[in-house]
Parts: sequence; C-alpha cells; structure tokens
Amino acid sequence: MTPLDELLLFSGLTLVLLLLLGRFSYAGKIATVFYAGQLLFLAKMADRIADGAIMTFSLQAELFGQQMSWRYDALSWFFAVITLGAGLLSSWYASGEWGERFRRRGGNLWLLHVALAANVFSMLILLGSGDLLALFIGWELVSWASFLLMTVAGGRAIQAAMRYITYAMSGAMAILAGIVLLWSHAGGLQYGQIIDVMPQLSQAQVWLLVALFGAGFAVKMGLLPFHLWQAAAYAETPGPGAAFFGAISARMGLYAIILVLVQLIGLARLSELTIPFTFLDMRDFWAWIAVLTIILPTYTALRQTDARYLLAWHGIGQGGYMLLGVVLGDALGSAGGLLHVFNYATNQAVLFFAVFAVMFRTGTADLNKLGGLITRMPISFFAMLVGIIGLAGLPPMNGFVSKWFVYRSLMVEGEPLLFLGAIIGTLGTILSVYKLIHNTFLGQLRVEHVEVREAPWSMVVPMIILMLLIFATGVAPGLVLDWVALVQSAVGLPVVENTLGGIELASGSLDMLWVVGVLFAGFGIGALLFYSGGRTRQVHQLDNYAGGHFLTAETRYHYSDNFYAGLMHLIRPWYRGSFVWLESTLGSLLGIAASLMQRLYGALHPSIYLLVTVVVTLTWVLL
Amino acid sequence: MSIQILLMELVLMPLVAFVVGLFMVLMLRRIGAKLQRRVGPPMMQPLYDIVKLYGKKTQISHGWMHDIGIIMAVGGYVAAETLLPVPGMDGIADKGGLVTLVYVMMIPSLGLALGVGQCANPNGSIGIARALTAMLAYDVPFVIVVFGVAWYFGTTNLVDIIAIQQAGGVSGWGAIAMPLLAIAGLFALQGMLGKQPFEIYIAPAEIATGPMVEMSGKYLGGLFVMQCFQLYTAGVLYVSLFLGGGENWLFFLIKVFAVVAIPMTVAFLFPRYKTEQMIRLMWKWPVMIGLLGLAFVMH
Repeated sequence: MTPLDELLLFSGLTLVLLLLLGRFSYAGKIATVFYAGQLLFLAKMADRIADGAIMTFSLQAELFGQQMSWRYDALSWFFAVITLGAGLLSSWYASGEWGERFRRRGGNLWLLHVALAANVFSMLILLGSGDLLALFIGWELVSWASFLLMTVAGGRAIQAAMRYITYAMSGAMAILAGIVLLWSHAGGLQYGQIIDVMPQLSQAQVWLLVALFGAGFAVKMGLLPFHLWQAAAYAETPGPGAAFFGAISARMGLYAIILVLVQLIGLARLSELTIPFTFLDMRDFWAWIAVLTIILPTYTALRQTDARYLLAWHGIGQGGYMLLGVVLGDALGSAGGLLHVFNYATNQAVLFFAVFAVMFRTGTADLNKLGGLITRMPISFFAMLVGIIGLAGLPPMNGFVSKWFVYRSLMVEGEPLLFLGAIIGTLGTILSVYKLIHNTFLGQLRVEHVEVREAPWSMVVPMIILMLLIFATGVAPGLVLDWVALVQSAVGLPVVENTLGGIELASGSLDMLWVVGVLFAGFGIGALLFYSGGRTRQVHQLDNYAGGHFLTAETRYHYSDNFYAGLMHLIRPWYRGSFVWLESTLGSLLGIAASLMQRLYGALHPSIYLLVTVVVTLTWVLL
Repeated sequence: MSIQILLMELVLMPLVAFVVGLFMVLMLRRIGAKLQRRVGPPMMQPLYDIVKLYGKKTQISHGWMHDIGIIMAVGGYVAAETLLPVPGMDGIADKGGLVTLVYVMMIPSLGLALGVGQCANPNGSIGIARALTAMLAYDVPFVIVVFGVAWYFGTTNLVDIIAIQQAGGVSGWGAIAMPLLAIAGLFALQGMLGKQPFEIYIAPAEIATGPMVEMSGKYLGGLFVMQCFQLYTAGVLYVSLFLGGGENWLFFLIKVFAVVAIPMTVAFLFPRYKTEQMIRLMWKWPVMIGLLGLAFVMH
C-alpha cells in the first residue's frame, strides 16, 4: 500500500462509517477522530513530498480506452492539508452542543456529517487527479458533494443550491468541451501528452481552450462574472458546513486553474494570446478579472446586513488575491497567492465559527439585531477580532503576509493600476469587517441578550486552535512558505527563497519576527503608560453621554443600520446590479427559447416530423 | 550592527518621536493662536496637558476593549516609529519597509476604533464610521504616491530611499523628481491628519467630537499621545519620501516641522466638508494628479 492508498481508503472509510453511524450522537466525535487520522496519513507523506517525490495510487481505471490514474504532488498535498484541516475543525465544531441543538431543531445531522465527509473525500480525489479524465470525474464528484451539503438546511438553501448546480453544470460542460478539444489533438488525456501537443496548437485553439477551461473553473472559484451563486449557497449552509465551504471549497477552482492554465498551458503561452481591440493579453485579462473579483464582491459585502452573507461575499473577493498572485507568476506573487489560500482558509473558518457561535446563543446573524456581546462572549469576540485582522490583512496576523507578497510583486512588476485595485479591495475589507465586529460585539448590549453566555467549549476550542494558527503563521510565515516553495517547484513556477520571518530582498525585505516583536513591545509600553495613570472606574453602558437625555434599558443607543451612510451617499448609485440583470436576462432568453421550441413542437402534427425525418434521411442516403 | 545598539535605537526612536511630537502639537496651537490673534499656550503646555489627563481622579472605563483600544493606539505608533529611519538611527526599517509601515500605521486606528466601539455611544460609532470612510478616501491617492516612490527608487526600503535621495543632493529629492506625486502626497497628508477641511470624524458641533465623546482622563491622554506620534510619523514619512530624509538632525527637524506646518496652516483657513464631499474631492484631484505623476515616473 502506498501512502496515497492509505489516505484515500481511510477517507472513503470515514464516509462509509458516517453513512452507517451518522445518526448516533457520537458521530461528530468519530468524524473528528477520523479526519485527524486522515491528516496523519497526509503528514506521513510530508517528508517524501518535500523531497519532490510524487505519491502514486495503486488503483488505476480505464474508461473509453483512457487510462485514469491518481497521484499526489506538492500542489495536491498543500490543498489537501487545508481541506483536511477545515474538515477536522468543522466536524469538531459540530461534534458537541452545536450538533445536538441542530438535531433537536429538526436538522438532519446525519446528512450534514455524510455530506461533509463526501466533500472531503471527493476533494481529496480531485486533488489527486493524474490526468484530465480523472480531473473531470473528480470535478463532478466535488460539485455534487457540495450540492448535497448545500441542501442540508432546506428552504432558501435549496434555492441557492439549485442555482449553484446550474452554474456548476454549465461550467462542467465547458470543461468537458475543453477536454474533448484537447483529446482530438493529443489523442489522449495524460498531462504529458497535453504538454507535448501544446506547441502544435494554433493561437486560436489555445484561446478557445483557455476560455473553456477558464470559464469552467471560474464558476467554482466564484470569479466575475460567475460569482452570483456563491454567497447565498455558502451562507445558507449550517455552521460547520459554511465554515468548510468558506475555507476551502471554492479553492478547488484555483487548484484546477493552476493545474491547467499554469502547469499544462503555461503562463508564457497566456501572454502570447492577445485580446482583440485591446492592449491586453490573456494574462493581463486574468489579472484584471482577479482585481475586479477583489473589488466588486468586497463592496457588495460592505452592504450586507447578515453576518453570514457578509463573510461569504468576502470569500469571493479574497479569491481574487489568490488568482492575482498566481497569474503574476513571479516568485513573490505566486507565493503570495498560494500562501493566501492557507491564510484565508484559517481566517474565514474562524470568522464563520464566531458568527455561528453568536447565532447559537442569540439565534440571529442580523447585524442590526445584535450588539455589545463582547462582555458576554469574550472568546468569540477575540476569535472574530483575530479573524478580521487577518482577513483585512493587517499585521500581526497571517493575512498581512500573503497580501504583502502580492503587493510587493505588483510593485516589482510595475502594475500600478492592479496594485491600486488590490488596495481598494483591502480598504473595503477593513470597512466591512469593522462593521461586522462593531455591530455584533461592540456598542450597546440589547436587553434580550443580557443572559447570553459564551459558546460551549466544543465550539470554542476549534476557534482557539485557529486563532493560534493565524497568529503563529503571521509571526513565522516561513512555516507555510516552505510548503509554498515546494508547490511552486512542483508546478514549475519560480521558487521563493523565504526566511522564517518572511523574505529577504535587495529591494525591501520583510521580517515578521521583528515587526511583531516590536509591535508587542510597543503595546507593552502603551500598557505601562496606561496603567501608570489614575485608577479607572467601570461604568454601566447606559452611563453615557446622550446630549442631556437620560438613557434607559429601552433606549436603542447603538449605531448599526446604514453604517457607512456618508460613503453610501456617494457610491450607492454605483451599485447597478448589472450581473444580476445579466443573469436574469440570460434566464429569460432561455425561457423564451424553450417556450418557442415547445410551441413549435406542440403546434405541428407529429407525422410532419416523421415526414421531414424520412426525407432528410433519404436525401442523406441517396447523396 | 550589534544587538545593544539596535535595542538602544528601538528605545530612543519612539522617545524622540514623542518629544518632537509634543513640539508639533505646540506649533499647531501657536499657529492657530497667531491666525486668531491670540497669544497661544506656553512651551510646556502639551506636556502639562498629558500629565494632567493621566493623573485625573475620574477615569471612566466602558470595558476592557476600551482600555486595550487605547493601549493599541499608543503602542501601535510606538512600534511604527522604529520602522521610520531618522538621522543616525535606522531601527528595524530594513526589516519592514514602506508597505509594512503603512499597514502598521493602521493598527492604532484599529485599536481606537475597537475602543470607541465598546463605549456604546452612537456619536463615537458614527465618528469611527466616518474616520474609516475618510481612510478609504485619502488612502487611494496615498497608495498611488507610495507606489510611485517605490517604483522610482526601485525599493521599498526606506533606508535606501533616503540614501538614494541624499546621494543626489537637493536635486535628487523625491519632490524634484516627482513633483506631481509630492502634491498628491500633501493632499493625502491633510486627510491623514484629519485636519480641516477633512475633520469629518471629529465634527464637534455635529457628533460631539465623535471618537472622543466617551474619552476622559488618561483615555483622552492616550489619544493626545497618539496625536503627537501621528503628526511626527506623517511629517517624517513625507520628508523621507520627498525631501531627502535627514542629513543631520537640524535639517531634518526643520524639514519635518515645515511639512507639518502646511496642513496645520491650511486647517485654520477652511470650514469642514461633508463626508461625501471629502471622498469626491480625494478621489478626484489628488488621484488625478497622482496618476499623472505616476505616468511621468513610469515612462
């Protein structure tokens, strides 16, 4: 048995076990242990992956005369670590009181566990695909497994899931068309064959290939203009599912983009493809798609009033940084993009955990119906704080490092407009996440939340683990950058030469060990100064300046609705809903076409069709 | 560089920044007094104010995030000063660079925002909402400036940026090579310091001084210290990017005080813009000037 055999078999076993035992109250704990087991099997490969070895899977299948195989290289391994980490912590989160409550409220906990395990299993298979056929099959498995998890909540979630599967199937058709195109030229679907045939393909053919594969993968990644399905589908999924989706699911699209566009077609080839009537080549085009994906969804997130939707929209936006880094293609940028996959996963998971902890205790994620929970749920507050600092990309959390790499790469490559776009996205994120933490945890505590307690330990411990991870990889980004360097060399990108604290460059280095050390020393001085002052007296929240009025428990003294009123005054007209319009127009056109066909079919007598068919067949035979 | 010298620099740099910052606050008040035909405060007044505020008997806390927010606001700037090279001392400027400095400078604002948030006063929250909006407004021209400077000098290391300028004499200064970016930078500086006409988030007659509404005693004292650091940081950063940094302490201080005097003087001549007016103005003129300057620099 190869290590990959062990991993995939064990992952399959987890799925089977949960299918059988998922009803029982200890199912969540079993799942958590088994995910930890899978992570161990993955860790066993680490040494050999680090040596550049490729793990093979013993089972090989043959379909339509095509050999299918599975293998893990550093790229697969990197994404698999994040997948399993997200799966482990999500199922841990669900294993205690959260799951119990979910079941008592009529939720199908069995389905949740099974769907989560199916997601992990299918993603591990997808990540191991050794040829395009295996990739396509893995892609479909992941799509349907995601669909299954999205439907768990029922109601609005079903609608969102249907929208997703419509997008996913259209995307899959595009990918299939791309695969057929490649097969007709290469005569096979092995990666080697495709790399060999690439130089013989004309520019137009490569153009078509990039469009087909790109559009297909962009759907999963939620890149503009295929992003509309994602926010609702992720946000409506119950707690752990949403955290898992948010952390890693959409990144399967990035994995496939790296595999096909970077590894098989090559970034250099992308630069040769010009876009008619513009100054851009295909690579610039992708960079701009990435930047638009950063900006527009981030500012959509800014307008959300539901914490889950806010996070889900940010998830789409953050994907843009990863793609931007990868498309830049130099050592710095691609390292930043890949590092951001890991960093963002930790941030998004902890944020979803915190939001669902608040929901668990208060029953709502509506940002206009919360406030002041910091005194009741301090650990959840701290988890969200660490998460938002990471998501917004400020030091000392890990999100800063990955974005720093992307910024620096844009500076070195001389891309001012892309740089400006990336920063505008970051600024929007800062505004939006402050609103999130302010409206949830800061400000006035509502009367109905006075009795609220901290979330139970089964939910708090995964948050604490993530917080530590976010901080540790922020102080010592070299820990993850070592893996990133392996991925770069496996994919054929230039390899980053990192240090434990960041990177040393002639044109400006980064050493987070020093930066964070000095930052905390600064906080220490700030604290010394603060505590050397007079003794403080803590007052009740209603003991507050109100311009001469008395505040009572009934007074709503919390500013939450339309939080950025001044900004919105200016930019509200800029939200045109163009993509929603485009989507509904497409839908309507399809509806019209369908009813036309129906009319045509219903209006004419069937015998006429028979006649036409016979005539056409006869003509064909005779000629 | 030995570790002892580095540690000494790390202690000295924030200390110097604080003292210089105190004098900048004094200058701010004296300029205001001159323009309003008043005498103005004596030299030690800023220091007296801080000591008074820290020593007050009534110190109202709204919770632990309120306290930590103030600690972060002061501590963040203490850390930021070590990333900002001054004559004779580089600190850890070579380990962070320009981009890191810009982001470390956001930590105090974040701390302040969190602290004000816990005060549970809508005036404060509105103030923070406006302050963050203002940041969105002035940071757009500011990052254009940062990009242009980093591109022109080919590095984000402030030590190198200063060294390159000083090697070329006055004609090597960033302001001579990139005049348009220097102008855009001045615009951004005005917004960054929150001075009129861009003091939307203080707006005393409107939202009762916004973030400061629940700040008393050492909380307000902390913000006072933060303001000293903020004036100093903004001035030194501008001098490092455009005016060749400091050859020696005398020229350095003259340049820094001159730079900081500009927004202070402008401030007393203008009323306040509305939030959306500020954004529109920031996204129009300095951005256009900045992009034009960038186009010149890059071609």
